[in-house]
Amino acid sequence: MAQTRGFFTDTTLCIGCKACEVACKQWNQLPDDGFHFTGNSYDNTEQLGSSTWRHVAFVERPVPLGAQLEAHGNFSWLMMSDVCKHCAQAGCLDACPTGSIVRTEFGSVYVQPEICNGCGYCVSACPFGVIERREEDGRAWKCTLCYDRLKSDLVPACAKACPTASIQFGDLVQLRVRARERVAELQQRGVTEAYLYGASAEEQPGTSGLNAFFLLLDKPEKYNLPPEPVAPARKAGRSWASMALGAVGLAVLALVATGAR
Amino acid sequence: MSDREEAPGRSLGTSNLDGRNIDPALGALRGEGAGQLVRTPIAPEPERLPSAADSTASQDSYYDLPILKETVWRLGVPVYFYLGGLAGASAALGAAAQLRPGLAAMVRRTRFVAAAGAMVSAVLLIEDLGRPTRFLNMLRVVRLSSPMSVGSWILTAFGALSSIAAAGEWTSLPRKYVDGAGLAAGAFGLPLAGYTAVLLACTAVPVWQGARTTLPPLFLASAATSAASALDLMDLPPRAQAIARRFGLCGKAAELLAAHAVERELSSVPRVLRVLREGLPGALWVAARLLTAVSLVASAPRRRPRWLRVASGLCGTAGSVVLRFAIFQAGRAAARNPRATFDQQRSGAAAATGS
Repeated sequence: MAQTRGFFTDTTLCIGCKACEVACKQWNQLPDDGFHFTGNSYDNTEQLGSSTWRHVAFVERPVPLGAQLEAHGNFSWLMMSDVCKHCAQAGCLDACPTGSIVRTEFGSVYVQPEICNGCGYCVSACPFGVIERREEDGRAWKCTLCYDRLKSDLVPACAKACPTASIQFGDLVQLRVRARERVAELQQRGVTEAYLYGASAEEQPGTSGLNAFFLLLDKPEKYNLPPEPVAPARKAGRSWASMALGAVGLAVLALVATGAR
Repeated sequence: MSDREEAPGRSLGTSNLDGRNIDPALGALRGEGAGQLVRTPIAPEPERLPSAADSTASQDSYYDLPILKETVWRLGVPVYFYLGGLAGASAALGAAAQLRPGLAAMVRRTRFVAAAGAMVSAVLLIEDLGRPTRFLNMLRVVRLSSPMSVGSWILTAFGALSSIAAAGEWTSLPRKYVDGAGLAAGAFGLPLAGYTAVLLACTAVPVWQGARTTLPPLFLASAATSAASALDLMDLPPRAQAIARRFGLCGKAAELLAAHAVERELSSVPRVLRVLREGLPGALWVAARLLTAVSLVASAPRRRPRWLRVASGLCGTAGSVVLRFAIFQAGRAAARNPRATFDQQRSGAAAATGS
């Protein structure tokens, strides 16, 4: 098996150019979503979806951020290029009843379009709201970590297009080292709010860590990320046990009801 | 007119109209998303000018946008939750009745309900798929981490067994096979009636996963109500009527208790409980329990005239159906509400470790 690959998205470097969104659409030949004007800062994409595999979030905050203090007063932007997290334990993969969703040799989570029958269970099982079923297509779609490019030793289109190295692609072990060095550097420079989101199983036990993790500057909620996501199947034992008890109860009830005079 | 439209000798294939903007003469559609079907042309967006309120909507969420994707299941799925429960509990009751002498009429009816329920269930589920022709892929793997995979196998086994048991009434299959199938269908009917609750609990939807302990007993109890109510609607010998009444009384009482337990389990995160109590899900949730309570009262007298049995059966059936819709709609509402997710996770109610 090849090394586990992933993304380290350093949001402090993101300038909100959306080159990643465009490169993703272009390389993967994804259909258009139409042109909306949302009024939510510069975010007219709103969320990840079946045909949007990278999404740049724009968070406007009434607080100064570092050097922006002088220029903008009490205002700052946070920008983050969001993507499928390719969770080490993935809710969608656990839930898929057809085996369409698999883990590739690169550790990424991949939906095989020729097998998906569009049951829609992965859509409700993803704690990040990433995977989506396209109605007219009938199947579930999400970021493939550019599986086709990886197989040809190419970097995913979004990382290739990112002009500021906010999106970094590589071996997950090396990315984690680089990310921790970056946090230390930022802390030293006075950006004390910098922290890593989902960088390891210790930091995010619910997903056993994310293969696409982030450096953030505010609460995850600000970026529409769940604060403590959990792959739903991790908690299934209790439900199954409760169901088994209930089933025994129903069986006893049936036997008693038919037997009593 | 754009340059492309003016360019001679270049046809506008569908790939241009779908917003991919790839000229088939110049580029091959071989990307990973190239197979995604698109209805052409793209429907224009309704004009909605954002107001100042949009950008200042909240400081504790991302423009109030949902964090989860709403379920794509249509209304056939909650109907299946009801039918699966009805069929499963009917088969279980039939299997128990089969062990006692002199209940042949009851056994026959429960077997019919079980087989018919399983067949309609399969049709509803296949119809709900995004690619119905690929329904057999459900039996491509066994994945124990997926309640839907486990459930597909349960429903398949149950469908086959209950069909054999029901077919025994009209065919000359050897008695021992028919009765064996009836007993086995009863055994598979129990998880069939309950796994649908596990299916909901194993999602990221706050109101569903928040009730992960109490939802399965609620669905099982409601299944007993459904089966007893279906029998109440039929003409049965007095002894079978009494059995259906007892089964229904316990089922309805358990259903009301379990519904209360679901509220208690959800109450640890007030915002999640509110989803089940407000709006359409809240109205359905109240209606479901009212109907079940009325049915419980109506089945209390030992000797019931026919109209009272029918009333009890109708209310019990309606209560069970509405209950599944209440839970289903609550899930949709919860997925739209990012704060329900945030609150649940911040409160520790969704923690990865522990129960």
